[in-house]
Amino acid sequence: MYFLNLSLAQFLALFGAISVTMVLLYLLGRSRRKQVVATLRFWTVAEQPPVAHKRKRIQQPLSLILQLISLLLLLLAIAQLRLGMPLATPRDHVLILDTSAWMSAASGNRTLMDEAREKALAYVRTVPASDHVMLVLADALTTPATAFESNRSKLEQAIAQSTPGATALNLDQALAFARQEQALGSGRPGEIVYVGPGRITAESRLTAAPLPKNLRVLETADSTDNCGLRKIGVRRSAADPEVWDIYASVRNYSAVPKVLTLALRFGGAPAGARRFAVPPGSEREIAFAWRTRAGGLLEANLIPHDRFSADDHAVLDLPPLPSLNLTVYSNEPDLLGPTVTAIPRVHATFRRVEEYRADAANGLVILDRFRPPQPPKGDAIWIDPPPGASPIPVRARLEAVPFDHWCADNALCAGLRTRDLRLASTYVFESAPDDVKIGQVQQGPVIVARAGKNKTVVFGFHPGLSDLRYELATPLLFGNILRWMAPELFRRSAVAAGSAGTVTMQLDPDTRLEDVRVLQQDGASVPFTTRGRALRFFSGTPGTVRVLAAERETVYSLTLPELWDSKWDVPAGTRRGLPAFRETAALSRDLWQVLALLGGLGLLMEWLLFGRAEGRARRLPAAIPRRTGVRKAS
Amino acid sequence: MPSGPLLERQFLEKLERLTIHWQKSFNGLVGGHNTSRFAGGGQEFLDHRHFHHGDDLRAVNWRAYLRLEKLFLKMFQVEPRVPVRMLFDTSESMNSEGGFKFHYARKLAAALCYVGLVRLDTIKLQPFSSRLGEGIQCGGGRHRFSPVTEYLNELQAKGRTDFHEVVRQFISTHPQRGLLIIVSDFLDDSDCERPLQYLADFGHELLLAQVWSEEDRTPPWTGDLDLVDAETETRLRLQFDESARGQYTRAFDAYAGGLQQIAVRNGGRYVGISTAMPIEDVIFGALVRSRVIA
Repeated sequence: MYFLNLSLAQFLALFGAISVTMVLLYLLGRSRRKQVVATLRFWTVAEQPPVAHKRKRIQQPLSLILQLISLLLLLLAIAQLRLGMPLATPRDHVLILDTSAWMSAASGNRTLMDEAREKALAYVRTVPASDHVMLVLADALTTPATAFESNRSKLEQAIAQSTPGATALNLDQALAFARQEQALGSGRPGEIVYVGPGRITAESRLTAAPLPKNLRVLETADSTDNCGLRKIGVRRSAADPEVWDIYASVRNYSAVPKVLTLALRFGGAPAGARRFAVPPGSEREIAFAWRTRAGGLLEANLIPHDRFSADDHAVLDLPPLPSLNLTVYSNEPDLLGPTVTAIPRVHATFRRVEEYRADAANGLVILDRFRPPQPPKGDAIWIDPPPGASPIPVRARLEAVPFDHWCADNALCAGLRTRDLRLASTYVFESAPDDVKIGQVQQGPVIVARAGKNKTVVFGFHPGLSDLRYELATPLLFGNILRWMAPELFRRSAVAAGSAGTVTMQLDPDTRLEDVRVLQQDGASVPFTTRGRALRFFSGTPGTVRVLAAERETVYSLTLPELWDSKWDVPAGTRRGLPAFRETAALSRDLWQVLALLGGLGLLMEWLLFGRAEGRARRLPAAIPRRTGVRKAS
Repeated sequence: MPSGPLLERQFLEKLERLTIHWQKSFNGLVGGHNTSRFAGGGQEFLDHRHFHHGDDLRAVNWRAYLRLEKLFLKMFQVEPRVPVRMLFDTSESMNSEGGFKFHYARKLAAALCYVGLVRLDTIKLQPFSSRLGEGIQCGGGRHRFSPVTEYLNELQAKGRTDFHEVVRQFISTHPQRGLLIIVSDFLDDSDCERPLQYLADFGHELLLAQVWSEEDRTPPWTGDLDLVDAETETRLRLQFDESARGQYTRAFDAYAGGLQQIAVRNGGRYVGISTAMPIEDVIFGALVRSRVIA
């Protein structure tokens, strides 16, 4: 017989304190009570004055004894008194099954996962039937697969359904979780069992933190004969935007040097191959360059394949080089030609005014001093439109006016500077409050940008016919307008292949944090944190994640498995192998339900026998006044 | 004690259909709603008497003179305006139940005053403990009720009860007989039956309203008690149990019975009122049944 919740000393201390308090309260309740009354005449004139000749210390000892016994029973119930031996109590075990990416490595004819499942099943079958086991799947995340379960078939089913993940093992987190669950569980803590090869990441702090004393390790033997891709980075060359710079990182996990071949294929066609040697336990970076304007799939294959083939192959989706179709409707194409053709990735087409068709234009349209029969259906730049044709109302027509200033607080005006600029003839527009007044004379705006479904910029004069054609501000202004109308044209793209898990990237110094978005393939947002210029997000499953930060877009193809960095050296004192439990749990039995019931019954009896009568006397009786409260005179 | 008005408006509206009644006839001025057998300048014919020199010729029965050739004078019933007097106990013993008994008695007195005011009776309310206190006289309708409630609210329960002294003062200052309502717990250590008898013998019609709290009649305590008299601060130590409680209650009931006997024997009325009963039930139940008000 033993207590599950309290030690004997704690129990005795508690019961002693409660008993003493109770007796004191009892004596206090039975002590002489001072009471002010309206008169003493009826206390003394009764036929048999109830004056006590002998005052007893304890008036109702049975009541006190009954209360003490009842409280003792309730306290025993709270302490969870059990029949049997303490060791016979069912225990709560936590079985940590390694489901890291490395578990899909081959080991003979089977995988490491098969071997780990087998050992986990063997452990579950060894545990006494009354013990509870919680199955926890551990990779970078710790996921409980079952609660503390005594149903062995459920546990075996959960073990059989466990599969390797895409991330490396975070054993610290798994052990902390197991300890916490055992502390919160209602049963006696049993063992924490780790099943796996013990391959951990470099960030693991297993050596620093004390290991649980009840830890048991069921090791699975593995071979480190593996070479694999760690990451692949692809970005457009700074010198030539049509060239992709490709960087691949290959690691040799084995203990012997390896000679490998990395072959690239783009769109199914060979794109390059490189043969190189990698020293044991180290990484090697390989660089490629590939020229293409088109988008497509870039495949990387590491040859020869080994026991762990998941990291021998990677696929990246390269985006096409962005471009913009610009159609200029003008009878004098030479005026705008030098400006619009100087912008890279812009394909300018010049057409005569008579050839204008509102629905034919695909991309941006420039309308040079003519009234189109129908307004364009996309973004458009209107230059010196005829009166009545302007999309923005004209306020006045001015001759020989000095140009006043450019707007100061908008990206459309970034870098624009002019001095002593005079406009021979210009329209002044009646702008709306949301319009951007790019350039102004004293009487009002002469270049206005309007956002909306279709973006529109209207010039009140022709830049090629005014003094502005000699200014550096002219190409800069058109560049700003194109950046505003087609921002994707200027976006820098990068593609990286890596492993699922935590991803860290450095943001550009001029990136505003409110402009940063991290999106999954389906467009759903991914939570992220930033510290300084470092952005971190976590992806537990393989997939593609896009990071948009102002004019920079980085696509992460998280398809490579995250692998280990080192092997965990299990401390010498740690228990290993399958245990030999004794089946003694059946001898232990809970008594608290019976004790609680008896305690409650005792208190009820005490109240029925003693408390109710006293309570009735203390309360003002409601029935008496109805019977005798009113006396009639006649 | 609860804040707010002493009596609720709805309750006052119910009281307006009631009237204070008394059984005896008193010599007094015209007024009120109680008939009198004393002759005077009323409107209801009462009797004839021989004409005496100096009598009002308007009251001569000329028809009788024509027939009998004797002068007879018509006499009419007097409608008395004898004030209803109310003695209100403000001794320390009224502070039972944390002052609830006193508050309850205040409400009872206020209700009786309102009934009288509505019927144009004159009410004289006088507090007492060991001596008769300065009272308040009111009359002239319901709009004079507010000074009464203010007066009652300002009263405090303190001092000893001395019925002998109070009755002596009352008889010496109020020679005119009339209806006398005494609202008290009648818990005087000295005998209060004899002073009440004096009042009855003097000609007053007594209406004894004995107010008690439940702890006055059935003390809820048990065990060893150290009792202190609220008025005299006399101490008494005793052990109290269920049987003693029964004896106590019987003694209390016997005392209340004695008070009832005095009232009934002298043509008065007695109403015993427990504070456990709602005041509305007392007014429309016990007081109406005992024909104090109707």
